[in-house]
Amino acid sequence: MSDLLFDLTLTDEQRMTRESVQRFAAAEMAAPARAADEAAVTPAGFYEKILELGLSLMPIPEALGGAGMQRSPVSNVLTAEDLAQGDLSMALGSLSPLAFVNTLIDQGNDSQREQYLPRFCGEAVTRATIAFMEPRATFEPTELHTSARRDGDGFVLNGNKTMVPLGLDAQLLLVIAELENEGPAAFIVDGEYAGLEREPEQHMGLRTIEMASLSLTDVNLPAEALLGDGRFDLQRFLDLSRLGICALAVGTCQAVLDYVTEYCNERVAFGEPITHRQSVAFMIADIAIELDAMRLMTWRAAATAERGGDFHEQAYLAKIFCAEHAMEIGTNGVQLLGGHGFCREHPVEMWYRNLRAIGILEGAVSV
Amino acid sequence: MKVLVAVKRVVDYNVKVRAKADGSDVDLNNVKMAINPFCEIAVEEAIRLREAGVATEVIAVSIGDKSCQEQIRTSLALGADRGIQVETEGAVEPLVVAKLLKGVIEKEQPQLVILGKQSIDGDNNQTGQMLGALTNMPQGTFASELVVDGDKITVTREVDGGLQTLSLNLPAIVTTDLRLNEPRYASLPNIMKAKKKQMDVYSPADLGVEPKAHLTTLKVEPPPERKAGIMVASVEELVDKLKNEAKVIS
Repeated sequence: MSDLLFDLTLTDEQRMTRESVQRFAAAEMAAPARAADEAAVTPAGFYEKILELGLSLMPIPEALGGAGMQRSPVSNVLTAEDLAQGDLSMALGSLSPLAFVNTLIDQGNDSQREQYLPRFCGEAVTRATIAFMEPRATFEPTELHTSARRDGDGFVLNGNKTMVPLGLDAQLLLVIAELENEGPAAFIVDGEYAGLEREPEQHMGLRTIEMASLSLTDVNLPAEALLGDGRFDLQRFLDLSRLGICALAVGTCQAVLDYVTEYCNERVAFGEPITHRQSVAFMIADIAIELDAMRLMTWRAAATAERGGDFHEQAYLAKIFCAEHAMEIGTNGVQLLGGHGFCREHPVEMWYRNLRAIGILEGAVSV
Repeated sequence: MKVLVAVKRVVDYNVKVRAKADGSDVDLNNVKMAINPFCEIAVEEAIRLREAGVATEVIAVSIGDKSCQEQIRTSLALGADRGIQVETEGAVEPLVVAKLLKGVIEKEQPQLVILGKQSIDGDNNQTGQMLGALTNMPQGTFASELVVDGDKITVTREVDGGLQTLSLNLPAIVTTDLRLNEPRYASLPNIMKAKKKQMDVYSPADLGVEPKAHLTTLKVEPPPERKAGIMVASVEELVDKLKNEAKVIS
């Protein structure tokens, strides 16, 4: 880490990683995004390609088969941003297993890391996700209704979760719940456990990632399902998730900005490009300014997290700012293209629908 | 079989380059740089040969100042085994590049040398051919297919109006065309591993070469702006204009 107050120079590895992820995102995400959105399924073979890219095994220790990269919220934020520039929906799908891995590294214990992390280093895709959000009007992240109680050596889990990415067929789920009389806790739940029911969800955006709602009815868990030593740092988990969501917003808004800039420079009305009109030029400039602020707030919070500092407030501010402006940029993207923006031929309406989720997601991605 | 691949650091192909105001050169300030696309194809081909068990070692070499180490690292992340930087200052002409590469070849004794057919900045398309002449090695330029068979290689070349197939004795020089392969993206773990791979730095003097300039750039200027087109009302008018104004048909 540099001693300078304000140095945004990327390391060589970060630059090379960005280059690779950006190319991946353009070819494997942006290109098939529209067809995938229409069909509401992930393109065939996509998660195998993500496995080849090596996203999830980066932070896993070498002894367990991973790449042993030092855990870096900054690098994670950059990757989330670049993936979301390809497609927000698929980015969320690719980051869900990484969020599971990161949370296990962050808050799990050694035997859990040894048991589960090698599954992300093999040849086969392991679908993992975090079930956090709950289906009610007044959902408050710090007051979970999903409950766990001790039962002999193990636990019994009850409750409902919603908007779980890859929820329909995830093999491993980290379910965040309130442990009776003890506070928030996280449980590693095998997808095969009895009492776990999954229901597909249909949403206006994020249509490609097989989002599901879960109902947990008297799911019996062994003692070792409890993550770490039982004390789950919900605040840290939420703050890291917020950084992930901010980065996803930044990436998609960058896609919007790039698209509207090119479109409006080429679109001719009254004999000249429409960017010659102040009403259009100012709108694009505003997107660029807001996007820059979103990115800087996100990077600052991630850099503080990376240094081990208290980044709670910074992450919270970034999340609120990013959520507001991502939705605004989404709608302005549609507006700038006029009638074309409303039309499914152009991607801006899809980005608008996806960006609408930024204000709603809380805790789906942990960087 | 040892394979040597040359890689060049150039302006990224997505960048719209601008001439400097004084016309002395292209403005490279704050411009995104990348590995030359043809060189990337060369790296990919060499790695495929190693994956197929034909090549035993792939060495990526680049010539330039310290910044070109980034492109060597990219090649290492793509799968090359080790890297060599020949440290030079300022622009280096194709003949000097070829002489320096000859020096590296003498040190490393590769059986196969793969280069891009040209770099997208200078568009010279000279280095591979000059290297062939200097080393007295056979050359297969503009390769769209490369097959190794014992101590020979078969190179399919893209030539005007069709394909030409050559058989060359090893050691040989091959320059790549666009359709030879589609390069992979470096996986993230391989980017990490690249950091640990060996990279040697040589000076031109180490290779017995004194870089000399044979060419002087007089002026760099952007292409003239295209005039706006016109809409024609009918096919007849179009044909008339093509015949009598543009004089492209008779």
